[in-house]
Amino acid sequence: MPDITFVKPSLPRSGALVLLLAEGAALSGLAKAAEEATGGAVSRGLEAAKFKGAKGQTCTLWAPGGGLTKIVAIGLGKADALDAQGAENAGGSALVAVQQERDAVMAADGLSPALAASAAMGARLRSYRFDRYRTTEKEEDKPKLERIAVAAAEPTKAKAAFAPMQAIADGVFLTRDLVSEPPNVLTPAEMAERCKALEKLGVEVEIMGPREMKRLGFGALLGVAQGSAQEPRMVTMKWMGAPKGKKQKPLAFIGKGVTFDTGGISIKPAGGMEDMKWDMAGAGTVIGLMAALAGRKAKADVIGMVGLVENMPSATAQRPGDVVKSYSGQTIEVINTDAEGRLVLADVMWYCQEKYDPRFMVDLATLTGAIIIALGHERAGLFSNDDTLATHVKEAGSAVGEKAWRMPLGDAYDKQIKSDIADMKNVGGRPGGSITAAQFIQRFVNGKPWAHLDIAGTAWSSKDAPTVPKGATAYGVRMLDRMVADHYEG
Amino acid sequence: MTKLTLQRVAQAKKRHKTRSADSALILPAIEGDAPHDPALAAAAKAARFTGKAGEALAVPGAHGFTILAGVGAGCAISDWEAGGGAGMAAAAGRAQAVLLAEGATPEQAAGFAAGALLNAWRFNALRDASKDKDAPPAKVILAVASPAKVEAAWQRAEAMLRGVLYARDLVAEPGNRLNPKSFAERLRGLRDFGLKIEVLEGKRLTALGMGALCAVGGGAEHGPRLVVLRWPGKLKSAPVAFVGKGICFDTGGISIKPAAGMEEMRGDMAGAAAAAGAVLTLALRQSPAPAVAVLALAENAIGAASYRPGDILRSFSGKTIEVLDTDAEGRLVLADALAYTAQRFRPRAMINLATLTGSIITALGLHRAGVFGNDEALTAALMAAGEAVAEPLWPMPIDDEHRDVLKSDIADLRQCAPAGSGAWGGRFLSDACHAAAFLREFAGSSAWAHLDIAGVEAREEAAPLGPKGPSGFGVRLLDRLVATRFEHDA
Repeated sequence: MPDITFVKPSLPRSGALVLLLAEGAALSGLAKAAEEATGGAVSRGLEAAKFKGAKGQTCTLWAPGGGLTKIVAIGLGKADALDAQGAENAGGSALVAVQQERDAVMAADGLSPALAASAAMGARLRSYRFDRYRTTEKEEDKPKLERIAVAAAEPTKAKAAFAPMQAIADGVFLTRDLVSEPPNVLTPAEMAERCKALEKLGVEVEIMGPREMKRLGFGALLGVAQGSAQEPRMVTMKWMGAPKGKKQKPLAFIGKGVTFDTGGISIKPAGGMEDMKWDMAGAGTVIGLMAALAGRKAKADVIGMVGLVENMPSATAQRPGDVVKSYSGQTIEVINTDAEGRLVLADVMWYCQEKYDPRFMVDLATLTGAIIIALGHERAGLFSNDDTLATHVKEAGSAVGEKAWRMPLGDAYDKQIKSDIADMKNVGGRPGGSITAAQFIQRFVNGKPWAHLDIAGTAWSSKDAPTVPKGATAYGVRMLDRMVADHYEG
Repeated sequence: MTKLTLQRVAQAKKRHKTRSADSALILPAIEGDAPHDPALAAAAKAARFTGKAGEALAVPGAHGFTILAGVGAGCAISDWEAGGGAGMAAAAGRAQAVLLAEGATPEQAAGFAAGALLNAWRFNALRDASKDKDAPPAKVILAVASPAKVEAAWQRAEAMLRGVLYARDLVAEPGNRLNPKSFAERLRGLRDFGLKIEVLEGKRLTALGMGALCAVGGGAEHGPRLVVLRWPGKLKSAPVAFVGKGICFDTGGISIKPAAGMEEMRGDMAGAAAAAGAVLTLALRQSPAPAVAVLALAENAIGAASYRPGDILRSFSGKTIEVLDTDAEGRLVLADALAYTAQRFRPRAMINLATLTGSIITALGLHRAGVFGNDEALTAALMAAGEAVAEPLWPMPIDDEHRDVLKSDIADLRQCAPAGSGAWGGRFLSDACHAAAFLREFAGSSAWAHLDIAGVEAREEAAPLGPKGPSGFGVRLLDRLVATRFEHDA
């Protein structure tokens, strides 16, 4: 991963130069300097390529002179319409354009310090790679970029603005690592161990194993775990960042962490089952979020909780028809062992609200295929019993490009999970499959303000986006970090 | 439709007494208020009857046969409708029902009666129902303090009722009786109510260039029709347009459907039926708003002349469409109907209704229809209208990704995403959103909304406002939309 530094604008004598250019604006600052140093090659090249600076437009000028390998122009669109997301996207595109160079300068001297930092953030986010398991990759295929220097008019201010972003990016990368890890490596115990890395950021980490869960009566979670040779874990992460004298009830984020989901006895079809390694993305997101909040020293008390299990078919696996008793005391008839995420969340969420009495609970889970059938991959499904909380989540998501779409709840849907012999069953049939899943979870929030993000469609991406390389997206980390920053600090 | 008579209370009570052996007296009960009559109060208490809207309790022996019908707080018209409907259901098997609404406002009384008659609808054209022990009362009396004062409100309700029941009758008709030809013939009967009707068929459709509609209907014995129903109204504004999918029977065509449940496909014309019912209601109540219903009628049959996956159709709009799945035919017939309506009528708003996708059922279940559109104000008005008349909607998104999957290699666009191209082994496609993105391409610049009513056009089980079977969903919603939004000049 390249280092990112902030420097005063000065023309490099080698390597690559990225120019971030607004639509219709005359060349100025470093761009103008480059134009002069190359004897007018910049304007000639841009004109020949019909580069106007439209948002997302890019143009590469090879060996333009002045000792540079290349100059890459990236369009920002209209200067007065440029926002943080626009700057991030430009930074992301810049990173891709210079990946095969060793050194690059990104000329952000025309941008405010905050937008220059956003452009750096975009480059940072896009530079993520998960190559832990590549041993034979050819040298020429590997990215070469070691340093990217962001040339800003006020580098000190831009650097200061970038510091909290860097912490957030670290959180995002932690999540992407966890989600990318294969299921034979990332077992529940291993994932819990990795949470301990947060201790050095000042996060208190508690790990609970099956014995304690059994003593407490986590029947729903343990029912899912019982078919696997891997023991389940529940991890509680506490970041107590609220200043003394400003203490309120904590915020709580809960994640589904099924490290691999075969479906259990209700086994899934073989095609695409490998994707089920990321059925722990909700938990991975909560862990990355806690790292982001602690890393930037958020002024809020936050509890992160994850329920970690593996869902396997085996001689000891739970069966369709089993009835389990959840920690809340409510009984659940397990109709489909592949609707296991809600069983895990049921116990963790009840425990969370009982032990910490949080201001709200937000859970994230790759919960249903139905949410993909409903919305596709651009938005997560958002369910909530609290309009204010839902608005906070949705707006924060829009601000960072992690979009959510509100979905309905209601008694008519709740009726679909009535059981003939227990308090509820764990599936409600095909109609409204994501909604009935949310209704199920709602039965374990005990009336507390709550929002549920069904991220089955957004946790993993099959194509590159400007700031998100394909693969694990860490959807939710930036959204919820932003929500905390906008509404729950200070 | 069951006949309803308005009578003074004293007279109606007498009628109940003289026919007490087969008459039911239906009393509205306000939630939390014990009935004045001690016997009824005791019965309500013993049966834990609360008066919740839509709850009913039969009390045999009290004044003959009395039914307490819950109307909730007794304010909302929808609660009176639910009460009337539930009361009527409890009167099954009796010849006469007397709805006692002496203390109610005219609108509440009319709602009480409308609920009862919505409940009492049956489709008996094709069976001998004379021995049906649970038949709803054939004679219904609405007892009020002053029939003259209730007359206007009742006429308004009756216009709505006739529109709804007209639509239900059409949806109930089997495919061997209701084909594009006979459907169009039946619609000609609407001339009696002041509607102007045009039926476009055969060479006329071909000459107009309706390549999509002609392809879908081409495999059937009776070719496709485009029916235009116009209500002139009084305003000078452009009309509001309802466009309905009218697939009289949908085998799926060459992409044939599985056999199980295919009989339900006789209802695949529910959108067209609702559009026709809505203009009928407007005509019956002499709405000042000009309106037009455009119904795309076709049978998606398998035959030597059926269209094929891979075919490319030139639609009325001029755009070419690549067919991937002949069972995604509804969007094709709507494409032509929407483009034609937009071009010919330049409507103030264009709303299409269609039993379009299974995906919307997975997304929203059986309790809400999905609404997509290009005009936030129109969508909001539809949502509000739906809530008011118990035909609830939920907004759904059309995102870039949904349009992107419709890119075709050889035509202007393709009609859907390829089967198996979704997430998790190809199983999960957001087809409802894809279909909406497709339709948007043919709506032009009109303010447009699309209601995907595939989950709600038929009831899975009996409810206060109707028996199991066709619901007539959409008629009331459109009637209400016009009343609240389009009865003044633009």
